[in-house]
Amino acid sequence: MPCDQALRLTSIGLASVSFIGLVLGASLPGWLIFLTASALMVALLRTGTVNAIASVIRPVPLSATTWNILVLSGFLGFWIDSLWISGDLLTSGIHFLLVLMVIKLFNLQHRRDYVHLYAISLVAILAAASLTSDLWYVPVFLAYLLAGVWTLLLFQLTKDAAVPSAAMPRGLEPLESHSGVTPKLFWMANGLAAATFGLTLVMFFVIPRVSAGFYQKGYGENIRTSGFSDTVDLGSIGPIKRDRSVVMRVELPDRPTHEVGRFYVRGMAFDRYDGRSWANQLSHRRNLSEHPFETFTLRGNQSHQLPSRGPALHQHIQLEPLDTPVLFAAPFAESVHGKFPAVQSDINGALYLPFPSSTRIEYSAVSRPNTISPDDLQPQPIIYPESFLRHFLQMPVQSEHIAELARDVSESKRTTYEKALAIQDHLSHNYQYSLDAPLAAQAHPLEEFLFVRKTGYCEHYATAMVMMLRSVGVPARLVTGFLATEWNEYGNYYIVRQQDAHAWVEVHLPQSGWVMMDPTPADGDSLVGTLPAWHRVQSMLDSARLRWNRFFVQYSAADQLAVVRDLQTGGASVRLWTLDSLTAFLRPLTAAFETGINYLTGGDLTPAGTLAVLLLAGCGAVTWLVWARPWKWPRRSTGAAGDEQAIVQLYRRMLRQLERRGMRKPAAMPPLQFIRITQARWSTAGTAVASITELYCRARFGRVPLTKEELHRAHETLRRLTSLSRS
Amino acid sequence: MLSRIRTIIRRFTYHRSTRLTSEGLQFLFFTMAVGIAAINTGNNLFYLLLSMMLSIILVSGIVAEYCLRGLEFHRHLPDLLFANELATATLVVKNRKSRFPSFSLNLFDVCDGRDIDRGLVIRELPPGASTLLSYPLVATRRGQLRLDGVRVTTSFPFGLFLKKAYIPLEGVAVVCPEIRPLADEALQDLLAAGQEHSAHRKGYGSDLYNLRLYQAGDDSRAIHWVTTARTSKLTIRETEAESQRRASIHLSLLAPDSHDTEFEEAVAYTASLVHHLTTRGYHLQLTTESSRSSFGQGEAHLFDLLRMLALCERRAPHADIRSETEWFTEPPDTEDGGALIVVRPWRGAEIPRSASPALLIDPETFLGAAYAM
Repeated sequence: MPCDQALRLTSIGLASVSFIGLVLGASLPGWLIFLTASALMVALLRTGTVNAIASVIRPVPLSATTWNILVLSGFLGFWIDSLWISGDLLTSGIHFLLVLMVIKLFNLQHRRDYVHLYAISLVAILAAASLTSDLWYVPVFLAYLLAGVWTLLLFQLTKDAAVPSAAMPRGLEPLESHSGVTPKLFWMANGLAAATFGLTLVMFFVIPRVSAGFYQKGYGENIRTSGFSDTVDLGSIGPIKRDRSVVMRVELPDRPTHEVGRFYVRGMAFDRYDGRSWANQLSHRRNLSEHPFETFTLRGNQSHQLPSRGPALHQHIQLEPLDTPVLFAAPFAESVHGKFPAVQSDINGALYLPFPSSTRIEYSAVSRPNTISPDDLQPQPIIYPESFLRHFLQMPVQSEHIAELARDVSESKRTTYEKALAIQDHLSHNYQYSLDAPLAAQAHPLEEFLFVRKTGYCEHYATAMVMMLRSVGVPARLVTGFLATEWNEYGNYYIVRQQDAHAWVEVHLPQSGWVMMDPTPADGDSLVGTLPAWHRVQSMLDSARLRWNRFFVQYSAADQLAVVRDLQTGGASVRLWTLDSLTAFLRPLTAAFETGINYLTGGDLTPAGTLAVLLLAGCGAVTWLVWARPWKWPRRSTGAAGDEQAIVQLYRRMLRQLERRGMRKPAAMPPLQFIRITQARWSTAGTAVASITELYCRARFGRVPLTKEELHRAHETLRRLTSLSRS
Repeated sequence: MLSRIRTIIRRFTYHRSTRLTSEGLQFLFFTMAVGIAAINTGNNLFYLLLSMMLSIILVSGIVAEYCLRGLEFHRHLPDLLFANELATATLVVKNRKSRFPSFSLNLFDVCDGRDIDRGLVIRELPPGASTLLSYPLVATRRGQLRLDGVRVTTSFPFGLFLKKAYIPLEGVAVVCPEIRPLADEALQDLLAAGQEHSAHRKGYGSDLYNLRLYQAGDDSRAIHWVTTARTSKLTIRETEAESQRRASIHLSLLAPDSHDTEFEEAVAYTASLVHHLTTRGYHLQLTTESSRSSFGQGEAHLFDLLRMLALCERRAPHADIRSETEWFTEPPDTEDGGALIVVRPWRGAEIPRSASPALLIDPETFLGAAYAM
């Protein structure tokens, strides 16, 4: 393929890649996508890959003024778009960029048009980078890099061909020319792209991160979720239970893989129910103390004073941008570590950021669940403060049926814990789980669930349990969060999706504190087991997404410092190890050296003298290196250079042989003249000398590499010459 | 050892320079813009793009350096050039690298610090290969043409930077004055005065001078077969030297600064005269105020005379040339016959003393219609 045609192809490829980046990153109007894609297609067909089509689709014969008017119209459209249509400068700017790309694609004639197209595509890929951080950007970036390197290379090669030197006389053409994309050029371009990619990676990690943040903006819209505001309508979780969007990924570094199971991620707790919605009346937030830096610890948590604490659970959470400021963690969080300006908590133990994050955030949390104290398994009098009971025994005006049901279920139980277990068992065994439960429209949804339909989902179960517990005098609250069941075995983390949104119950036991209980029966979600192939691929992709996000998107100055510290630590140990190994390796040599020196000097050489000897030896070695240049010694090579060196050595050996026989070649004498002299003075050797000299001249001064047979022949000729005796 | 050290030092001091191309300037501008955007937003994908652009710049520099490294040059110039006449020079370029080819090389002759574009382009030079580039060379003035070195440039691989390397490679050639055809009529007039003067002596000519017996070493072609047949003894025919085919040309170097053009024209006329007379078999001697040649004939002698003319320099009339050489006291060798032709770029110059009649050529002659059309 000719270079100019290849340049057109790669240029359109470059524009296409940036266009794809924009399509994936921004929500572009359909007509603009269609227009740009059509323009790219037409430009591609015009490159001449298919001659018949290329001849049909001719360039649009418009004057430069017309093109300029079109650009100005596009600019006018940009302002109209930004002021009235999209109302956003970035969005309208992207639209304008694509309009410019379309105009340029139809007007791709001169080299400067190509430069304009490259500039537009660069801005487009930059815009795509500002709009996303998802994994799909990786292949787009790689394709852009490859197309960019190809385009720059071909642009340079065709420039050289297009602009001949002013002094080039007519008829004197270059000896060689890049008429097309040869296999050598193909591999070279790909090699350059690979080298550029390698350097890009190095530079990416090395460039100091200085985030001045004069203009920072999140990308895209936050994920809409429900169940995490101060008031939550009963049944609001249901709709998002069908949404597979990933909301977070949770790694459990301390937990072995084989112990993974259902994992609860706590969000908010609610204390007040009015018959149709839950509210958090204890929503007063206070800032958590930050000590050490970026570590926020919960103080005054009631559970802290409780003796029945479970083991600490460390979690590393990557939270997608949500429309709630709630921070999620396993129950019950003790501390949070992350780059946050502040972290707040309310009395119900929910954690909050000051405001919802518009970008993906990463943080670590340490949680410790409460375990059942043995004291709570024995009946005992319970005395709660009035304020506590006001919140956690609150009930709406309701039918007596719920209280009767609760009493029926728990009347035989003696302790609070047993009553709670009984109610939980009753709900989980006598009711059916279904997302198709239109209870929200009912006047009394809870009664409808418990006595009529007996079908519902987590919110109904949890609300029913809280109400039943409260009706029998057991303090309880409703908790919303996520129940993670999807374990990614490739990345060893939980994938938490919108559909994992869940509601459960926290029961207060006098000695154990708040204890988590879940009346919702399992809906058959598979946790770990035989997964279909597509699911595995999905898991692998998600794992790659996590790594991409961790190592690239979230890479920060702190990570750079950590890497430097690791390198320092590693470097010191490597240095020590190298020194030890080197000393051990050189010990026999140094011992021999010392013995030799002692032998020569009679053993009375001072350390200064030893140093001087060492310095002398070093200088000698350097002098030898400069003189002998061992790196220039002939190497075994099968290439043209190796052949040349071999024949040069043969020729020199021949000259030495002739010199021994009294025929010395003066340095200034050309080889061909020396042949004539040799033939005149020693006719029997003339043929052999001529043969070797001819090969020598051909390899040394010509461009023709020698074949193995010719080299072998030269060796044989020299051997015959050596065996000749001169009369 | 010293030469090795010199080579090493020279290798490190080879002149290298890098210049941004217009595309490179635009690329750098975009790189800076992306860098500012990355710093402002802290967006790591911007940093990724910035890294890519910086890598492209770095790769560009490294590959360009490798392209210019390990190149060996040999230049061949003709021994003798003629002013304003096309000649061919050759440049052999060898890539001494064992692995890496060199691409997109542009070569320039460097003369007095100026790069002279000869239109030499090497698209690709594989490792270990060499290529021979021929290019036309036109010297515009006589004298010594000195080329200081070769400048190699490449904008490979991405055309963002133009990397230059200077390789000292001295090349010297003598540029003879321009040879112009002379009108035979003008020369007939010019030499008519010397035609009847001939010296009867043995020499190369066509007239019979003597017949003698053959001696060993005599040219067999000179045997006079008629006499040999008549006398039955090998007889050799000796010819009379053609003294009228001897000429001594004197070029006066004396001319004031205002007569520089006339001087150059006089030199060119003298060269044309020398060439013209040589082609007609004349024995020629050339003298100037600073040098003199012997009488001679043939192409080699012609080139000697032309070389003399190429290197002669004008002298101001007040300069004391007698103190430098004593030639002026010795007139041109015209005692054995032949014409003395004096070419004067300036009328004030003295005419050398000579036994032969002097044919004086003043500026009016060689600036006028003396040249053939």
